[in-house]
Amino acid sequence: MSVENDLNTAANLLHVWTQEATTPEPERLDVRIDVADLLAAVKTLHDAHWGYLSAITGLDLGAEAGELEVLYHFCEGAAVVTLRVRTPRTDPSVPSLYPIIPMVTVYERELIEMFGVEVTDTPDPSRLFLPDDWPEGVYPLRKDFDIADAAREA
Amino acid sequence: MQSKIDKFTIPIGPQHPALKEPGHFEFSVDGEIVTDASVRLGYVHRGIEKGTEGRNWVQSLYLLERICGICSHVHATAYCLGVEKLAGVEVPPRAQAIRVLVAELERVHSHMLWLGVAAHEAGFDTLFMYSWRDRETVMNLLEGITGNRVNYSANVLGGVKCDISAEQDEAIRQGVDFLEERTRHYLEVVTSDMMFLRRTRGVATTPKAQARELGLIGPTGRASGISHDVRVDAPYAAYDIYPVKLITATAGDLEARFIVRINELFESYRVIRQILDTLPEGELTVRMPRRIKEGETVSRVEAPRGELFYFIKSNGTDTPERIKVRTPTLPNMASVLVLAIGHQLADIPMILTGIDPCFSCNDRMVVVKDSGGDNRAMTWEALRQYGIEYYR
Amino acid sequence: MNTLTTIITLLIFPGGLCLLLLGLAYEWVDRKLVARLQNRVGPRWFQPLADTIKLLAKEEVVPENVQARLFTVLPVIALAGALTSALYVPLFGLKPAYSFEGDLIVAIYLLSLLTLCTGLAGANTYNRFSLIGATRTLTQLFSYEAPFLLALFGPAIVAGSWKISEIAGYAESHWLVLTQPVGFIVALIGLMGKLELPPFDAPEAETEIVAGALTEYSGRGLALFHLGKGVELVVGLTLVAAFYLGGVANPLAFFVKTLVILLGLAGLQALFTRLRIEQTVGLWWRYGALLVLVQFLALIVWEGWVA
Repeated sequence: MSVENDLNTAANLLHVWTQEATTPEPERLDVRIDVADLLAAVKTLHDAHWGYLSAITGLDLGAEAGELEVLYHFCEGAAVVTLRVRTPRTDPSVPSLYPIIPMVTVYERELIEMFGVEVTDTPDPSRLFLPDDWPEGVYPLRKDFDIADAAREA
Repeated sequence: MQSKIDKFTIPIGPQHPALKEPGHFEFSVDGEIVTDASVRLGYVHRGIEKGTEGRNWVQSLYLLERICGICSHVHATAYCLGVEKLAGVEVPPRAQAIRVLVAELERVHSHMLWLGVAAHEAGFDTLFMYSWRDRETVMNLLEGITGNRVNYSANVLGGVKCDISAEQDEAIRQGVDFLEERTRHYLEVVTSDMMFLRRTRGVATTPKAQARELGLIGPTGRASGISHDVRVDAPYAAYDIYPVKLITATAGDLEARFIVRINELFESYRVIRQILDTLPEGELTVRMPRRIKEGETVSRVEAPRGELFYFIKSNGTDTPERIKVRTPTLPNMASVLVLAIGHQLADIPMILTGIDPCFSCNDRMVVVKDSGGDNRAMTWEALRQYGIEYYR
Repeated sequence: MNTLTTIITLLIFPGGLCLLLLGLAYEWVDRKLVARLQNRVGPRWFQPLADTIKLLAKEEVVPENVQARLFTVLPVIALAGALTSALYVPLFGLKPAYSFEGDLIVAIYLLSLLTLCTGLAGANTYNRFSLIGATRTLTQLFSYEAPFLLALFGPAIVAGSWKISEIAGYAESHWLVLTQPVGFIVALIGLMGKLELPPFDAPEAETEIVAGALTEYSGRGLALFHLGKGVELVVGLTLVAAFYLGGVANPLAFFVKTLVILLGLAGLQALFTRLRIEQTVGLWWRYGALLVLVQFLALIVWEGWVA
């Protein structure tokens, strides 16, 4: 199957939930969906054996936008499909993919501690990378975190 | 002592002879059998992803290359390919070929290193010593080409910084011939040494279905029959001109992982020779803009340990907006915890090494623990000053 | 025997000091041979001695929550056991210092004292690695001890004596390695198990349990255990050479034969992968014990039929 075929298949699978679909590069398909539809969309891809979850990226869109974006990258051959969900910055929350893809827990732990996104129903929300005495409520990969400030306060 | 002991926990790490890098594992054992496992990483977390957001595109390259000492070149390659794609720059074919050449030499060096470490974990120090001796050959070749044994900095944005001269060409050919002969010997050892097979055959067996569920990637996954290899699936740099053969096995145990990695070495030798035979002439670099066009890209590269995933977002300035790195060890790490259960304690170092873990890759704030016991975060300037005064 | 000779025998030659130095020298030979076989440079000739002196000079850290007295006394008992057993074997090709009917059994059990002390030392501490190491040490003791014992009883049966000096005397005119090859191999491999050399180093497998039972030991205690190991190596090599390789009637024969065995041991160490503890036990009871037992029974029947 060629890359276009793979991407078409994915687009068809996901069109029910698609809010906005773009193809920024020939081998990529970005699909924006609602947080509530995330599990259903991932389940469809998973059941259709379309690729595998390659990574979860967190993005801080900044204080003005007031939103965090979570990107789920699925890869099949050369094709990459990215499911993009947005969640408010003040109370970010996404559902856990654990029931569908059990290995996702390490990615989710990273997302929790780096961005402070609450991942509901993830089996192990404990810290993976940050030190034990890292202050609560400080998320290093958010845009308003500055290492110099953190050092001055410590 | 307590009257009732529910579980006996063996801590492995952060410092332990089985670990070449810090990580913390806790294995609950019943006699010699492991019943539960958990992991804590981050002992070498250096905040590199955050660090790139405060540096320009060129500085970030050198920072990202230092994510890992063993597979530094693939990090630089993934980053360069991504940024060049964003900038819309076409890199000369000779540079792409040299990137692949260095990447394959690096794979040889990484797999040889792994072979030695895995043999040492099994208590087979003779194989460890011999494979590391032979590994020096490829280290010397890399030093000859790039000037460095690790962190080669062969890549620059828009090309490569080092060329292959006629003498280097000859040296690489000789080195590869020598290594190929030695590798054939090692393949024979790991598939026929009865004592060694007792420690590898049937240990940590992962059938294909389970491997898919655990999300195994790279040689670890390929040993279970998962046919993913970014070099084949989505050829990058010059892999479309120098295609590689997908190496898989079906057994899914430690022996299969040895066989897959060693067979990949033969494939690397073949590609290296092919590149030297048909190295295109031309420039090594093209001019790169200082500011990169706004946009997002995904860059995937096959590191020696599996698929390396980069997500790069540019906001049109001279610094990256966000760089996400997903290293191959992270998805494979989860499998260790699952596979360990039910195995003997003696197999744990082998199972852990079986995925070829790289903790530095995984962990990417500088926190210095001083003797007072309280932690401080240090700024780059403060750390630099501390370093200067320490060595004065 | 007057008092002065006794003191010299016990403390200087052939027991005591000379034996300790010989143990260190043999340890060096072993390490150097393995290193060369593994394409390494290996230690310099005085390295084991330097290590010992350094350890003896260092502070001995007694961890919390251990029986402190037991902790200090165990290494001493271990070394004393090894040194005492040496008095009954023909060291340096000389007659044993002491001898009585049945000293073979006493010597072998004194040698096991070292392993037993190592196991107790591990179980005495609260360190998890030590505890697992202790379990493994004792498990291993129970697996190789019986076959090793039977392998040394073979020569005793044909010699018709339980006295080491008499068996060695008999063996001088009979190369028992030719008539009892199974016994020789089992004795050799049993010695490797006794000394916890690879592939039988599961009790101190560094990639799993750091230093096994002796993880908490430092300074003097560790040095004494190491010295004990060295003595055990010499005594073990002497016993095997005296019983199976045509005796050790003079110093030259002693050194040549023991060093030849040591060369063999080094080769075996470099050749194999560490066995898991359950594989060690399986190997000994499934093959080692069975084979040597068959040979042992055959010997008894043969001797009884001939006599």
